[in-house]
Amino acid sequence: MTISATRRAVLAGAASLPFLRIPGARAATPGVLTFGLSSYPPTLQPWANGGTASATIKLMIFRGLISYAPDGSLRPELAESWTLENPTTWLFKLRNATFQNGEKVTSADVKWSLEQIAAERSTAFFRAQIQGLERIETPDDMTVRIVTKEPVATLPIWMASYHMPIISRNSPRGQFIGAGPFVLKAQERGVSLDLEAYPGYYKPGLPKLKGIKVVAYGDENLRVAALHSGDVDLIEYVPWQSMDAITANSALKLDAVDGAFMFLVFNGTRPPFNDARVRKAVAHAIKREDLVKAAFFGRGSPLTQLPIPPSSPFYNAEYKDGWNYNPDLSKRLLAEAGFANGLNASMLSTAQYGMHKDTAEVVQQHLAAVGINVELNMPDWATRVAIGNRGQYDIAVMGTAADSNDPEGLASLLDGTLSPSYVRSYGLKVDRITELLAAGRAEFDETRRKAIYREIEGVAIEQAPLVGLTWRSQGYAMRSAVSGFKNMPGALTFYSGLTFETTEVA
Amino acid sequence: MLAYAARRLLVSLALVWVVATLVFMVIHIIPGDPAELLLAQGGVAPDPWLVTDLREKLGLDQPLMTQYWTYLGGLAQGNFGYSLLDDHSVADEIALRLPRTLELVGAAALIALLFGLPLGVLAALRAGEALDRLLSSLAALALSVPVFVVGTLIILVLAQNLRLVPAGGYIAFATDPLRHLGLLLMPAITIAVGLGAVVLRVTRGSVLEVLERDHVRAAQARGVSVAAIIRRHVVRNALTPVVTVVALHLGALLGGTVLVEFVFNWPGVSGYLVRSVESRDYPEVMGIVLVISSIFVLLNFLVDLLYAVIDPRVRHG
Repeated sequence: MTISATRRAVLAGAASLPFLRIPGARAATPGVLTFGLSSYPPTLQPWANGGTASATIKLMIFRGLISYAPDGSLRPELAESWTLENPTTWLFKLRNATFQNGEKVTSADVKWSLEQIAAERSTAFFRAQIQGLERIETPDDMTVRIVTKEPVATLPIWMASYHMPIISRNSPRGQFIGAGPFVLKAQERGVSLDLEAYPGYYKPGLPKLKGIKVVAYGDENLRVAALHSGDVDLIEYVPWQSMDAITANSALKLDAVDGAFMFLVFNGTRPPFNDARVRKAVAHAIKREDLVKAAFFGRGSPLTQLPIPPSSPFYNAEYKDGWNYNPDLSKRLLAEAGFANGLNASMLSTAQYGMHKDTAEVVQQHLAAVGINVELNMPDWATRVAIGNRGQYDIAVMGTAADSNDPEGLASLLDGTLSPSYVRSYGLKVDRITELLAAGRAEFDETRRKAIYREIEGVAIEQAPLVGLTWRSQGYAMRSAVSGFKNMPGALTFYSGLTFETTEVA
Repeated sequence: MLAYAARRLLVSLALVWVVATLVFMVIHIIPGDPAELLLAQGGVAPDPWLVTDLREKLGLDQPLMTQYWTYLGGLAQGNFGYSLLDDHSVADEIALRLPRTLELVGAAALIALLFGLPLGVLAALRAGEALDRLLSSLAALALSVPVFVVGTLIILVLAQNLRLVPAGGYIAFATDPLRHLGLLLMPAITIAVGLGAVVLRVTRGSVLEVLERDHVRAAQARGVSVAAIIRRHVVRNALTPVVTVVALHLGALLGGTVLVEFVFNWPGVSGYLVRSVESRDYPEVMGIVLVISSIFVLLNFLVDLLYAVIDPRVRHG
């Protein structure tokens, strides 16, 4: 009798569990979207590069002269038009827009912003480029003329960068007043940010949301769990292993694009990788399908040429298999270079990020099969960056997205004459590529530009200043009730924050 | 007694200085440059002169000894410095986050004691029987499962499948007490699983030992009821080792809740420490480690004093 009473009590208790739900972290205010970010933005300084989390928040608060349409094409933003007056002069016509303090956006604000970027002690990402301008003229309130020392075909792309927002020159010291769709209302350092729609945003009817609550979820599994449990409406950086489960859930949807990519860089200052044949041997020794499977759960695709996405007008189909899997060719190239009996080298990666670690391990196996024995060095990320910048490695695994979908976005990875950096090969100069990159920057004719970048890719396939490995899928996932948010194509995936202005939550 | 206390205090202060110096050395010796990292977010290549400029701005170009004296000088004035990342005051951040970690650890200890103590006593009373073996096996299992597994399982079951609690996060108690406690529950349980197992085992052993003592037999002989014997004569005497063990674990948990804080998005001091190490934010790392170790040193100092009060021989030893 006592037993059955106990059992009844337990069952009754269990039945009441669903009614005991403790209200979530989510304050369900209508029209407010809760967004699960992958990390808390280290800085919201408008012109500095604070990583992708910072960039996403910056795209909510700030706007620049130009931006990107959801299809990836350049679109007017605070500038309603831009024209090339002569090869070194760009003319920008501003539109009627206001900053979040209610003041009009004028040419003086544009000039002031560019001056801050170029200032002494500025940590702006585009400091060098803007310092290299000849002058900035403001013929009237609504016109800005930018004169460059040399022809710069990619200037509109600079202006579209999320590191180039226009800030009110009347911003109080230490604050940055932008002209974007959302105003930062409150933030709890390391935890969350609250943004509210800016009613005076210059695009009629936008933003559609009343506000955005951004919560940082450092743990990828928790981020996914928060989406499944309804705590958040939208998450970024969907872990590859969770993509299947999200696709299978009818209450959720996944928006993923091949955006970022993994590649190898070399130490070009010493043997064996100062020899292009050895680098090419590496390129042909790796079966990329295995990498996509092992490191990205099949969510990605092999990258056997330069990382220019097939959707780009600069994509060169003829180099599609430039670095195809061909271990026999690898062995032949190694023998030609004098390493018929194989060679030993060190490979730098990091154990801090699974994709870097897994990629390194698979690459190691494939290289061993052709006689290149690499010893892995996988310190934490900070150490890996330091070692990479100092060139204390033979081969290193790297992952990033290009600066833009324009092939000029690859210059920082390909140009060995730039300062030593962990993002590109160490001290590996290919003169022809440097020349061609400069030519591409100065060329305004689209057809001729295409020809230049085609030649760059041809040289790169032979010289292998970097070796492409895989595209990796970059995903956002959201509740089905969310609409108007779009993952931007290719390298622009980290610009997807632009589409918060059209996002709605039912 | 006063001389003894003064001596211990001096030793404690010296210990804090040693810790401060060690932390300073270690963080500066390990590779990785905060200025480089700060400018290289998202896999981009910063210009070297940008890095040089920033190093200068942050004072990282100064000789190490100069930096050390500046740091010690700041500490002497109670100034922990400012984050290299965003100029935020390190002391403010610790003041904000330390209570959250203390709360988490405290809640975990409460849950652990609530379950561990009675079950431990029960296991001891049924020593050798099936129930004892079951409880001991469960405790062994709870001890050997890592916290991130427990945490992930709890999230999966409670948050994702049953949807009883939010999947993690933090809301200030003042903002919404109920939601605050709801969010505290899962991480606290996760830590309590392992801690409760420790409590159970220590309690069991201790109770078994006390049960054999003469005063318990005497009480039995006097005809005192079993419940009263356990309450008055056994548990009370058996508690001392339990309290010691729990106190030791709590100390370790102060800096050791990293995984739980990470898995549940609990913005405490442990997670903050890891993030600071990753970005080589020197003032933050030094500040946090110093505060945590100072708490340890303070606890030790108090224990030493307590020993001296209990046992006068210690004072003269």
